[in-house]
Amino acid sequence: MIQTARRNLSVYSSILAMIPKQFMAYQLWFWIGLVLNVISMAILVYFWRAIYADTSTISGLAQNQTINYILLAFIFMPLTSNDLIWEFGSNLREGTIIHHLLRPINFQGMNYAQMLGGLVTRLILQIPMAVVAVLIFGLRFPTNLSTWLAFILSALLGFTVMFFFNWFLACFTFYTTEIWGLGVLVDGMSFFLSGALVPLVMMPEWIRNIVLSIPFAQALAVPVGLLTGITPLSDAPHVWFIQILWILGMWIVSTLFFRVAVRKVTVQGG
Amino acid sequence: MTRYLNLYWYFLIQRLKVLMEYRISFILGASSTIVWQASSIAAVWIVMQKVPSLNGWNYDEVLLVYGLVTLAKSINHMFADNLWTLGRIYIRSGGFDRFLVRPIDPLFHLLADRFCQDGVGNFLVGIALVIKSSLTLGIDWTPSKLLVLIVGVVSGGLIFIALNLITCVSAFWIVDSVPVTRLVFDNHLFAQYPLSIYPKAIGILLTWVIPYGFASFYPASYVLNREVGNIAWFGPFVAAFLLFIGYRFWQFGLKYYSGTGT
Repeated sequence: MIQTARRNLSVYSSILAMIPKQFMAYQLWFWIGLVLNVISMAILVYFWRAIYADTSTISGLAQNQTINYILLAFIFMPLTSNDLIWEFGSNLREGTIIHHLLRPINFQGMNYAQMLGGLVTRLILQIPMAVVAVLIFGLRFPTNLSTWLAFILSALLGFTVMFFFNWFLACFTFYTTEIWGLGVLVDGMSFFLSGALVPLVMMPEWIRNIVLSIPFAQALAVPVGLLTGITPLSDAPHVWFIQILWILGMWIVSTLFFRVAVRKVTVQGG
Repeated sequence: MTRYLNLYWYFLIQRLKVLMEYRISFILGASSTIVWQASSIAAVWIVMQKVPSLNGWNYDEVLLVYGLVTLAKSINHMFADNLWTLGRIYIRSGGFDRFLVRPIDPLFHLLADRFCQDGVGNFLVGIALVIKSSLTLGIDWTPSKLLVLIVGVVSGGLIFIALNLITCVSAFWIVDSVPVTRLVFDNHLFAQYPLSIYPKAIGILLTWVIPYGFASFYPASYVLNREVGNIAWFGPFVAAFLLFIGYRFWQFGLKYYSGTGT
């Protein structure tokens, strides 16, 4: 009798102990994520300070301007997110894509709304990191309202370019059904091609030409360029115009590709 | 010992058979790490076209440091990647219990269970960087320099493994140990560049607390005839000490392991 009770007690108490363990794991992730980002920012900042040790400007950029650019690009990295590819992949793998396609709303519009929601959430979650960047690494946000407006419009346009570009890439998963490799590869490329690591003006011309003929930079280097003042505010209309051209081009290409690719849907069970 | 070596070989062959069934994933996995590294190296290359040195280290000297830590990391990535997934894949599903009833050391079983192909990409990048930089720099390879280099990479790899082992033991209590391991592991990124570019505190941290510096900065300094003193030879002792702590801590954690009821 006592033995049974004791056994039951130990069984139930270990089940009970599981819940705080799970809860703790989520809490833990948030704080640890913050520390990991601080480590990354520290490396970027000290690297650039060492680069500027013997020189006052590189390609016309002063040390504080470059570090501002690098930190802001790091904070606004969610603009280049390729969640859409993963989303397509999991829809395909679990077969839910069929239901989405049958719904009486525009499939692309639905995804756009989802991704925009994701972007806003991610940017809000970056706020603690931005605070650390200001307090420890001397990040200075611009105080000029029109700079912010120019940036926000350009960021939205750039995000839209990436949305259609990711839509285009995601269509390949209809053929390959291989999602993980595609996602990781695109991630790795956008790390450099978005201009997150080096301001575009420092790149040799041939590399800059490549970077500007691929969409990634439109979502990060271009809007952050406006925000940091590396691109003068007077150029903003020109920047927006080019981004709109990008959107039109990527929209046409991705829509056409989707129309062809969707006939190939082979759901992996589900 | 020979029994374990034979067993490891057997596990590896089985694993390679599995990987060959999914050839595309194998190649993508190995090349994905190469793309990531290429992004970072391209950035360093571009910037160092503009300035002569990073705190007194030229481009190829920086590449040597970067290459050494990448090599050490690849040892951990190829042979001990399962330490990351102990909680997520083995403990949560109850699969870990399988190891406990087998007549071999559960830690050995965990490590041998999955050779990670993604690490091959890092290994190739590391080798390429070390060879490229040492050719360009015209390093005069004396036996002691070669020894420091090899010892540095191997003990660096073991330091990576030991730190991941110590942190993954937390899975026995909190199930998902990945956040804890990441917290320590990500500090290796500091060791991609010469430690002298950071404030003193970070240098001390990377030498005496989370000693990834022994994988890259100290052996590279020795090979490049920079003043480092005897610390260039400390790597193996640091690695042995950490492995000892790691294994004891693992045994301690194992005693408290009670499964998740799955």
